[in-house]
Amino acid sequence: MSATTHERAKTSRTVAVLAGFVALAAIALLTYNVSREIRLLGSASSDNVQWALSQTEVEFLEFSTRASAPESDLNDIRRKFDVFYSRINTVGRASVFEDLRTNETFNQQLAQIVRFLEDSVEIIDADDAYFLTQLPKLQVMSAEIRPVIRRLANSGLEQFAITADNQRLAVARTMTQLAVVLASLIGALAFFVYYLNRMNLRTTEREREQKLTADRMNTVIGTSLDGVIVSNEEGRIIEFSPAAEAIFGHNFEDVIGKEIGEVIVPDHLRDAHDAGMERMRNGGQKRVVGKGRVTLEAKRANGEHFPVELTIQSAVTAEGEMFVAFLRDISKRVADQEELVAARDKALAGEKLKTDFLATMSHEIRTPLNGLLGNMDLLRDTKLNTAQSRYMRNMETSGRLLMSHISDVLDITRYDAGKLSTRSEPVNVSALLQDIIDSQSSMAAANETTLDWGWEGLPLNWIKSDHDRLQHILMNLIGNAVKFTKRGKVSLTAHSQQADDGNSITFEISDTGPGISAELADRIFDDFVTGNTAYDRDVGGTGLGLSIAKRFVSALNGKIWLESREGEGSKFFVELPVTLADPDTETNQPDVVAEALGRLNVLLVEDNEINRVVAREMLELDGHWVTEAVDGQQGVHLANEINYDLILMDISMPVMDGRTATRTIRAGQGQSAKSKIIALTANAMPDEQENFISVGMDGVLTKPLTKAALRQVLQLGHQQVPSDGLIVINTKHASETKDALGEDAFRKLMTRFGTEVDDLIDWLETAERHDRADIANRAHKVAGSAAVFGAVALREHLKRIEAAAKSGQDSDVLDLIDGLPQLWRTSKSAMV
Amino acid sequence: MIKFIKAVGLSLIFAMGLGTVAFAQNFPAPSGDVLLTVAGEIDVVNVEDTLQLDLTALSDLDSASFETETIWTDGVHTFEGVSLHVFAELVGAEAGTFLATAINDYTVEIPVSDAVEGGPIIAYFMDGEEMSVRDKGPLWIIYPYDNSSDYRSEVIYSRSIWQLDRIEVVK
Repeated sequence: MSATTHERAKTSRTVAVLAGFVALAAIALLTYNVSREIRLLGSASSDNVQWALSQTEVEFLEFSTRASAPESDLNDIRRKFDVFYSRINTVGRASVFEDLRTNETFNQQLAQIVRFLEDSVEIIDADDAYFLTQLPKLQVMSAEIRPVIRRLANSGLEQFAITADNQRLAVARTMTQLAVVLASLIGALAFFVYYLNRMNLRTTEREREQKLTADRMNTVIGTSLDGVIVSNEEGRIIEFSPAAEAIFGHNFEDVIGKEIGEVIVPDHLRDAHDAGMERMRNGGQKRVVGKGRVTLEAKRANGEHFPVELTIQSAVTAEGEMFVAFLRDISKRVADQEELVAARDKALAGEKLKTDFLATMSHEIRTPLNGLLGNMDLLRDTKLNTAQSRYMRNMETSGRLLMSHISDVLDITRYDAGKLSTRSEPVNVSALLQDIIDSQSSMAAANETTLDWGWEGLPLNWIKSDHDRLQHILMNLIGNAVKFTKRGKVSLTAHSQQADDGNSITFEISDTGPGISAELADRIFDDFVTGNTAYDRDVGGTGLGLSIAKRFVSALNGKIWLESREGEGSKFFVELPVTLADPDTETNQPDVVAEALGRLNVLLVEDNEINRVVAREMLELDGHWVTEAVDGQQGVHLANEINYDLILMDISMPVMDGRTATRTIRAGQGQSAKSKIIALTANAMPDEQENFISVGMDGVLTKPLTKAALRQVLQLGHQQVPSDGLIVINTKHASETKDALGEDAFRKLMTRFGTEVDDLIDWLETAERHDRADIANRAHKVAGSAAVFGAVALREHLKRIEAAAKSGQDSDVLDLIDGLPQLWRTSKSAMV
Repeated sequence: MIKFIKAVGLSLIFAMGLGTVAFAQNFPAPSGDVLLTVAGEIDVVNVEDTLQLDLTALSDLDSASFETETIWTDGVHTFEGVSLHVFAELVGAEAGTFLATAINDYTVEIPVSDAVEGGPIIAYFMDGEEMSVRDKGPLWIIYPYDNSSDYRSEVIYSRSIWQLDRIEVVK
């Protein structure tokens, strides 16, 4: 019921009550009036007064007749006189004649009569003798008074008529009043009846509507698949739907009026439930009511606990607050979910197990394989006859192939485990493509196939990418094309696209080979997919090449796809987003220059005996001294005792691993604390390499060891290594410059460069006085000169000064300037 | 024998009939002026088949008195007399009507049912004095008008006969 209807009903009730009071008052007034009238009429104030008055004349006549008759008995006359006397006495005194006595005429007449009586009484009361003598006189007096008595009667009658009229009028007035009151009472009653009738009709209508609503609600509740439980403020159940009966196993009759907590709340949650109800009763916070879907535990009739999802809403009704709960048995759903989660966990665990297994196996296979390949490398340098050389080559080919397969598997494993990381380094695309084409040209020639490459669009020579991954992808695609194409043409085209949202290169590798069927094309990038089996035997392959290529492309945020028609050849496309890079000569791997390095004192820390023997052989062949240590602990001990020029440090070793050993050597005050330490590892991941540097190593050598790589590291090791581990002078670069300029010119330039640096250092001594922009400019200029002479450490230092000056970090600038003279002395001595 | 039985029966009937007469209480004959003569179907007689009562006889009966106003007099008066109830018991009137007649032969009918304790009296004293004929005496039937509005009606007023001298009991 809305507030306004409520208000209106209240007003109606007030009106009804007022009308009732008015009616009651009217009835009371009426009753009073009527009873008064009845009393007035009932307690008659008069005897039959008119009769009594007329009786006066009658009694007088009886008396006067007796008195006039000669034979009359005197006592009889006396008796009649007494009666008349009594009558007049009554008329003169009785209250009923009071009104009459107010009439003057009546009073005068009455007085005359009384006088007559007083006169007569003397005669009447006298003895008989006297009475007889006076009788005639009495007769005369009677005759005289007779008309007066008659007039008395008449005037009395007139007065009575007037009084009667007045009385009639009064009665009429009362009756009229009565009629009016009655009429209004009837009117009020009629209105009341009408009003009651209307109220009744409205109530009936409302009851009908309420019944309809209730029926509808019952139908809704009865057919709802969710259980519906309604409770009152005290938590007593007042509704329990059939669905709730089915869910909880209770009967409606059994639970009605019971405390809801007692019926459906599990015992261990009862305290919380009761506390919640208590809190709500005290007007506190509602934690479940009106909070949407909530999942809780509930209890069935048989005591079983199960999860329910429920929503509770509260409603305020005339009978107080009410709580309506919709409950759904979600035990099946929860069980399903748990099953799914378990299945997923199991699948993930299986996947992880597989990945771990593959990673471990690959690693374990690689270690002995490294031993094989290393020994073959050494064996090749011994005296071999022609057949042995051929066998040697075959063995090496097989070994390298096996190694590449293992690398493939490792790559896939890493990618799938999300551990495949890529580098972002400057890559010379043209050089890379040329190298790939060169490496494949002999194979193509063998197949009588022409092989070429070219740019379409502006050549994007220097880009930032992962050189090795890109090489792997393109090598795989070109290799496949060359492998499958006989007497045809294979071409590699690099399409460059420059757009606002970035540059990209699409490499297109097209061949005139046998083509790929549509069916095969759909799954060609899947793992272990190979083409025709017979043909495969012809060309070989694991079926992993393209799937790895696809993974690498994805890792580089690119796309790979193909267009092919059987019998007409195939086209593979690789599209990569690229960012342009500055040409960076320094990161280029310097070729190994076989120059006289001098004999170095090398400490070799390696637990694997074969690897140790291989490395030792390679080092000794180049004329170095080698000391061996079989674990980190031994390595640290030797490094403390002897000053080695170079320490080659394996990473995973028993007792103490390579990282710990390096940290210990660098932290200690031993003879080799400042020596160059190079990591030996099979894990060539970039992030791991950074980790090696961070523990104090100066470089990384990836297993299997090759003489070339070893020589390169040894060459660096021969150079001065400053305390921060940076290489001071890139001798290769310096010698290139020397070659290009000639000895004399180089010397002159060197002198000039020396002067330039000395001037700068002098100038910087008063750095506080100089403008930051000037410092940045001069540092930049000298850094450019340093690059020409391969003074990389100096160049880096100057670039840092430039950067610090540009960003306004004055304290950094001053710190760097302080370190500059020492670095310059070191660099100068290294260059000479 | 039969004659004898008849004789006995007759004598019995006579005896019973005589008995009835003998049961009518003998009441002393009036010695003073007779104020009230009662006739009709009455149990008590003293002069022939009437009961004649003088003031002494009336005074000897249980008396009743009350104060009341009347519409024929001025102010409150004390009336003393024989309760009509006592009178009815005396004459053995249980139902029917008293036909009360005044000196001037005016007659009213008073139902015997009016004769209740605390009801009307046959007054012989007003304010302790005998009432003369000139003052509505010697007897006056007075109802206790002030006690109940039932006694203040036209009918009761008409029954309040004064100068009463005869009552006939009619069943």
